[in-house]
Amino acid sequence: MTLAIETTELSKRYGKKEVVSGVSFKVKPGEVYALVGPNGAGKTTVIRLVTGLAFPTKGKVSLMGLDPHEKPMVRRKLGAVVEAPAAFYPYLSGRENLQLHAKLAGGVSPERITEVLEMMGLSEAQAVKTGVYSLGMRQRLGVAAAMLTKPEVLILDEPASGMDPLSLHLVHSVLQNAAKEGAAVLLSTHHLDEVVAYCSSVGIMEEGRLIDEVDIAARRERYRAKVSDAIKAQQILRYQEFIKQVGTRGDNVVFTLTHPYALSNVVSCLMKQNINVLGLGPDIFNLRAYYQDRLSGNRADAKADSAAVG
Amino acid sequence: MFKLSSIEFGKLFHLTSLRFSLIALILFPILWAYAPGIFQVYGFFIVSGYQVPALSLLSSMEFLLPLIIAVASAELLGLELAHGTLPTVLLRPVTRSQWLLAKILVAILYPFALLAFLFVVSLVTGVFYGYGSFAGGTGVGAGGLLGQGILSAGGALAELGRAYMMAAVSLIPISLLSILFTVIFMNAAGGALATLALLISMKLLIVFPGLEPYLLTTQLNAYVAPIGNLGITFALIALYAAIFAASSVILFERKDF
Repeated sequence: MTLAIETTELSKRYGKKEVVSGVSFKVKPGEVYALVGPNGAGKTTVIRLVTGLAFPTKGKVSLMGLDPHEKPMVRRKLGAVVEAPAAFYPYLSGRENLQLHAKLAGGVSPERITEVLEMMGLSEAQAVKTGVYSLGMRQRLGVAAAMLTKPEVLILDEPASGMDPLSLHLVHSVLQNAAKEGAAVLLSTHHLDEVVAYCSSVGIMEEGRLIDEVDIAARRERYRAKVSDAIKAQQILRYQEFIKQVGTRGDNVVFTLTHPYALSNVVSCLMKQNINVLGLGPDIFNLRAYYQDRLSGNRADAKADSAAVG
Repeated sequence: MFKLSSIEFGKLFHLTSLRFSLIALILFPILWAYAPGIFQVYGFFIVSGYQVPALSLLSSMEFLLPLIIAVASAELLGLELAHGTLPTVLLRPVTRSQWLLAKILVAILYPFALLAFLFVVSLVTGVFYGYGSFAGGTGVGAGGLLGQGILSAGGALAELGRAYMMAAVSLIPISLLSILFTVIFMNAAGGALATLALLISMKLLIVFPGLEPYLLTTQLNAYVAPIGNLGITFALIALYAAIFAASSVILFERKDF
C-alpha cells in the first residue's frame, strides 16, 4: 500500500535557527495522525513542508508517493487548511469562495459545494460575505474547502482553533468520517481529548523535533485490572495464549488481548491462582498526562509507562 | 491558464487602489480641462476637445500613472498576502509559475485598461470645446505638435490613439517591476514604494548622458517620440519587462510560505 504521507529526516532552517529538525513519520490511508506540541514546536512548519508550501533544508517529503514540489499536480488528491483561521476573500460569500476553490481545483459540481456547506453547517450562511463570518464559521468553511474534492489526503493546521464545543465536535467527526472512508488525515492541534478519541497516532513535537510517537489505536485495545498482586498476575498472564502483551503499573496489571472476548478468561485465570481482581476495564490513555510528562522532561516516568505494555 | 487569468481579472475589481485610481482619473481631466493657467505651463490654449486627452496624458505620465500602476500591481499580489489567501491558492493543483503568470498577465493589461478609461473620460470632459480641426498643438507628438499647422479631427484622434497606446506599453515594465518588488518583500506597500524609489533614482541618472537613452524612466516618454524612433524603445521595454517577469517567477518559485 502506498503511504499517503511520508517524511524522512525533514529539517527546516530559517537563518541560524533550525525550526524543524530530523522529523520522520508516516501516515497510511485511513489513519489520522495528530501533531501536538507547545506553540513554536514546529508543527505549522512541518505542515507547510508536507504540503509543499515551504522547502525543506534537508530531508524528503512524499504525498501519495510523490514529491509535492516536483509534482505539484499531486495536490489534486490533497485537501488542506494551513491558515488558522482559514483565509478567504472577504468580499466573496462562503459559496462564492468555494466556487473559486472549485475552479482552481479543476472543477467541482455545484451539488458537491452544497453538500460540503451542509456538512459543515453553513447552508444558511452560504450567501453571506466571509468578511463578516465569525472565527468558527471561517474555520468550518476552511474544512468545507478542504473536503471539496473528496481528497485522499487531508492536512489541517489547528482546524478547530477558536471554535465553540459543538463546532469543534462537528469538525472532528467530519475528519473521523473522512478517515473511515479511506482518507489519510494529518492535523496539528491542541485539543488532546479529541485526539485520543479518534486519532490513530500522535506525534509529540518540542523545539522542532519529534520527541515521541504514540500509537493511540493500539492503546485503545489495552485493558487494566486492579489486582491484589500485580507482579504475580503479570507472571501468570504472560504465558496465557489469549494475552498479547502484559505489564504492570502500580497495583494494576495492564494487558492487551488476542481477542476482546477473552476478557473473561483473564478474570477466571487470575481467580484460579488466588489473585483477587478488584477492578477491570479499558485502560484509558491519559494523553494529557503523558504529553506533560514528555514535555516537562520527566522522560523516565513516561518511558516506564510506555514500557508497561511494550 | 485562461481560467486562472479570468479569476485574477475578477480580483482586479476588488483592489482598493483601483477605486482611488478611477476617482483620480475622473477628476484629473476635469481639473486640467478647465484650469486657468494652462497657457502659462504648456504654451497653448485649449480650443479643441482632442487637446484634453493629450493634456491628461502629458500631466499624468510624469508621476500619477506610474504611481497608480505601481500601487495596483503591488496590490494584485498584496491582496493575497493581506487576506492570507496565498497559501490556500497555492495548495490547489496549480503551479506557482502558472499562478504568478496569470497575475503578470493582468499586470500587463492593466495599463491599457486604465489608459483607455482615462482616454474616454478625457474625451467626454472635452465635449464643451467641440471636436473640430485646430491649430496650435495637441500636446502629444514631438514638440507637442506646436507649429505643425492645422490638425484635422481624424489626425488628432489618430495621434492620441498612438500616444495612449505607447504610454500603456511604456508602463508595462513599471507594472512588472512592482510585482517583482512585491515578490521580494512579500508586502504590497514595500513593493510599490521600492518601485517608486527606483524610478525616482533612475530619473536622477540623467546626469550620466550615456545611460539616459536606456533608462526605464526615459522609455516613459515614448508616447511623445516620433513613430520612426520607437524600435529601440520597444526593444528596451520588452527587455525590461522580460527581465522583471522572469525574475519574479524565479524568485516566487523558491519562496517559502
